[in-house]
Amino acid sequence: MIETVQLTMITGAALLALVLPLLSFLIIGFWGNQLPRKGDWIAVSFTFISFVASSYCFINTWNQKVHHFSINWLNTGIIKLSAGISIDNLAALMLVLVTFITTLVLIYSMEYMKGERYYHRYFSHLSLFLFSMLGVVLADSLLLIYIFWELVGFSSYLLIGFWFDRDTAAAANKKAFIVNRIGDIAFFVGIMILLTQFRTLDLNILFGVEGSGGIVQHSSTHINTIAGLCIFAGAVAKSAQFPLHVWLPDAMEGPTSVSSLIHAATMVAAGVYLTARVFPLFSPEALNVIAIIGALTSFMAASIALTQNDLKKVLAYSTISQLGIMMAAMGIGAWPMALFHLVTHAFFKCLLFLGAGSVIHQLHHVQHKHHLDFDPQDMRLMGGLKKDMPITYAVFLVAGLALSGLPLFSGYLSKDLILIEAWSSKLILVPVLLTLTTVFTSFYIFRLIFKVFWSENKLAGLYPDLNVKPHESGSLMTGTMIVLAVCSTFIIFSFNPMHGTHSWVIEGLKTPVNPLNSPSVALETAELWVPITTVLFSLAMIYLAFRAYVQQKATFLSEHNFFYKFSFNAWYFDQLYAVLFVQPLMRFAGFVKWFDVKVVDGIVNGAANLVLGFSAIIDWIDRNIIDGFVNGLALLVGKIGNFFRGFQTGRVQNYMALGVLGLILIVVLSYIF
Amino acid sequence: MLNDIPLEHFVIISAVLFCAGLFAVLTKKNAIMVLIGIEMMLNAAILNLVTFGAFDKHKNEGQVFALFAIVLAAAGVAVSLAIILNVYRQFKTIDPSKIEEMKY
Repeated sequence: MIETVQLTMITGAALLALVLPLLSFLIIGFWGNQLPRKGDWIAVSFTFISFVASSYCFINTWNQKVHHFSINWLNTGIIKLSAGISIDNLAALMLVLVTFITTLVLIYSMEYMKGERYYHRYFSHLSLFLFSMLGVVLADSLLLIYIFWELVGFSSYLLIGFWFDRDTAAAANKKAFIVNRIGDIAFFVGIMILLTQFRTLDLNILFGVEGSGGIVQHSSTHINTIAGLCIFAGAVAKSAQFPLHVWLPDAMEGPTSVSSLIHAATMVAAGVYLTARVFPLFSPEALNVIAIIGALTSFMAASIALTQNDLKKVLAYSTISQLGIMMAAMGIGAWPMALFHLVTHAFFKCLLFLGAGSVIHQLHHVQHKHHLDFDPQDMRLMGGLKKDMPITYAVFLVAGLALSGLPLFSGYLSKDLILIEAWSSKLILVPVLLTLTTVFTSFYIFRLIFKVFWSENKLAGLYPDLNVKPHESGSLMTGTMIVLAVCSTFIIFSFNPMHGTHSWVIEGLKTPVNPLNSPSVALETAELWVPITTVLFSLAMIYLAFRAYVQQKATFLSEHNFFYKFSFNAWYFDQLYAVLFVQPLMRFAGFVKWFDVKVVDGIVNGAANLVLGFSAIIDWIDRNIIDGFVNGLALLVGKIGNFFRGFQTGRVQNYMALGVLGLILIVVLSYIF
Repeated sequence: MLNDIPLEHFVIISAVLFCAGLFAVLTKKNAIMVLIGIEMMLNAAILNLVTFGAFDKHKNEGQVFALFAIVLAAAGVAVSLAIILNVYRQFKTIDPSKIEEMKY
């Protein structure tokens, strides 16, 4: 049950965890330039305190009561909206995960971003990002989630475009923002549908607390399906699912540490988190849609990752693929497994990005030192870094093994649980695609590891007379990576390295009541053969990658093969969207511009010209006729005056003559008339 | 005697005299001559008065008018001469055509 709506120690701690990043954002944002070290210590320490507060919340909330704190917010008479925070197991888990990973990323960034021109801006925006994400996690109503959801989009826009003076970064953040807006609109429509249906947006009232159903479960209509799909569309955009995934690879334009955070715990996780939050809303049809979209996304992204040459792009598509797996798990009703995978994935994907950042950072240093011109993210130029950067290699290998889902590593636990659930679900397409995905995953991640860390150093081959030897990153970067590497093993999740069913995460998270969707019961046999086959497949793929990229004995598809090109160009989605949406839109914009310039402006200008012409006529009339009349009259009067003035000579005789003349005139006139 | 001469002749003489006086007033370059012209015009008028008085039913009415007119003319001449003297003191000339101060 909801314990209280009053502020308690636990909700207070959660509120503190939420507010501190905002404070950090404001302090560094306003005074970052004046502060010593540009205020990075504020961001790190505040985030760490936030993490400590989150841990306190987590310890006191996990498998205990739901803590809820809310205040009345908007009261419109019919609809009363409250604002508050609600901490259940899911929120507590996410809270700790997000603050922990952000703390690590911030510590890493202190070294990674060193010497950057907008150093303080980075830390300030990252704090805002953290604040937004924590808001999404803690919010107790859909409206609040939506507000923080928008903030997440906005702060990711700031961070992706961190190097805003680069055109590609500016284009990437716009793309991310616009694609996210598409989902946001759908999300908002979903919220509105729920509001009109149920007159409340409170999560606990809508979806129930701890196994007791909310109003949504008691009213199963088609409207719910539509609302669910609308909200899911919002999650599709944030979590970069098919068909709105196109922004995430471009978002690699931001600093690698930002990518790490976006991909691990904040932005893309927000989509999965939202899907998990509104899970009771999904009808079986909606769940099928989610499952198919997730599976399709995971397969598509994995197939694209096979051929990419950009180090970060491979990881980006890998994230899309892994998120697809989570979504598919949601869709088949494996709710706890999906979140379990979210947690494990957060650690190893963060580690993968930080490792990649370490490599890029050192190559960038080499580039800078020797004034060379090459792309420090291009895997074709790397190789042999195993000896130069042993710690980075080691932690990257751990993360790669976790991603491949090999035993003893965290990825194995969560991914195999999802696969087992998938094979026992009714949709046959989902398990097939997911299995293919896991096979692809092992291949592309070891292709990356072999290309970057094994074989010979290609840069040395390119510049033979220079000593292009990158060295290991500093202790801040390696330290955080080692911590993450420990978190990528089975040890903190489950005592049994081979099976994750009894992991504390799974035990703590229970599928929300959804009367329409009976939780699937895993097949006994599937529990045995699914892990064995996937591990065997993965090992085979690693061996294949080893033969191809280390021993150089196997080649697969040539670069001119259709499938290679299809994968390399990311299934031509960007081109397709350009043809389908961008170009028509640009043409329409061109037409509107033409219409504006020619027709609207034409009418306006025509009217202006008409008025001008009319006023010219008026002006002419005024000048020539009216002024002419007035001036003429004045002239006439003047002339008459002058005429009479001429009589006034000042001589007495003239006056007299005039007097006589006047006299004569009077006499003559009086005779005539 | 008077009755032998018709009235028109007196009137004509008077008119001629008047015109001669007027001409002198309008054209002479000497203020004294202008005064003389004025006197001639006055005399023309007085002649008219006397003439009309002769034909009048009332006794000597015209002559009385004439006497008044002569007195007035004498007074006028006295004033005029004083003006002319002052004009001369002011402008060092008594040519009326050179004195243009009456404009203002």
